[in-house]
Amino acid sequence: MKKSTNNLKDKVVNRAVNSLRRNKRIEQISFAAIAKELNVSIDEITSFYSSTEDIFLEAQKKDWESLHRYWDKYIKQSSTPGDYKNAFEIFFERFVDTLSMDADLRLELSCYLPKCVKYRERNRKRVKQKFNKLIKKGWPGKDVKVLDRQTELVTVLFYGFIDHIVHIPKIERTRILRDFRNMLNLHLQDRKFF
Amino acid sequence: MKVDIQKKVKIIQKSMESIRRSDTTLHTITFPRLAQELQIPMEELTSFFLNVEDIFLNEQKRVNRKIEKFLNEGIQNAKTASQAKELLESATLKLVDLLPEHSDLVFSASFYLPKCIEERARAKKYYKQTFRRIIKKGWPGKVDSVLDRQTDLVLLSVYGFYEYCARVSKKEGKAIHKDFTNMINLHLQDRLFF
Repeated sequence: MKKSTNNLKDKVVNRAVNSLRRNKRIEQISFAAIAKELNVSIDEITSFYSSTEDIFLEAQKKDWESLHRYWDKYIKQSSTPGDYKNAFEIFFERFVDTLSMDADLRLELSCYLPKCVKYRERNRKRVKQKFNKLIKKGWPGKDVKVLDRQTELVTVLFYGFIDHIVHIPKIERTRILRDFRNMLNLHLQDRKFF
Repeated sequence: MKVDIQKKVKIIQKSMESIRRSDTTLHTITFPRLAQELQIPMEELTSFFLNVEDIFLNEQKRVNRKIEKFLNEGIQNAKTASQAKELLESATLKLVDLLPEHSDLVFSASFYLPKCIEERARAKKYYKQTFRRIIKKGWPGKVDSVLDRQTDLVLLSVYGFYEYCARVSKKEGKAIHKDFTNMINLHLQDRLFF
């Protein structure tokens, strides 16, 4: 039951994204058209989503929650600086690996739709907190100020990385991921930073 | 003419305040509603802008034009490597200074409103070419493939920095600016990068 509900929700998200890709306008995404395409009743769709914005918000949450679960597992298992560094790196790898085909559109909506923007802000704080913890444990010996400044910079760069990576072909993503991680590592090892 | 500019600026500011208060998707805001909110005749609004998208495009282009002028003049005047290095640093600081209070809204709009998406893509292409020229001049001796890879990293970093600065106060933007440029410098000096 739960699986079929999830499948239907995924299908609704895909149809909404396809519609947006075709028409470029959110207001042209119609619950009726999606219901007809999926051969379900509108009521079934409205039992999950109250608006188009809701469809994208739920999809955004689902992607991030899954990423956090995966990440938390590694953080929890970490005990040495090497483990924490690994958990830091794994996050970026997983993020790139799990980007959907429609990651560009999903990012654009997460920066545009008010509810999605709010979720994005909250999530940014959550990501930043985890970066802080991992930098503290993975690159020990930094004082609190340095840690905070470096955490902020890593977060700033990560959000620029997201914007960049969703707009390039999948094959190029791995290459830039490697360079990006090298850049962050160099930054975090920098003893002359201050 | 001067009065017209003042009036235009006032309309932009009031519109942004009103849009922020409404907390709704930008494309659903109509001109008649906005005119009503601002308590000005429709004709006054339409004498400056065609629609809401036009207001955002105007704001987006205004900042881009200024930064581009600054960069173009800077490249022309940069005769030495250190002048090119300084240009990258001063351009990002100029960005912090130029961003208006409502730049978070303009940032959001640039991800959905078609003309704003177009402008965003145009500007990104311009920045990529320009950063490449600056890096080549400021950090000479890099082979083309390294130059391309580092340009991509600088570009994504600057976009992350832009997103951050669009959401925080100028003071906070300036506080991170020094760390940001130090980090970019460190990255561009990195001889072990490859």
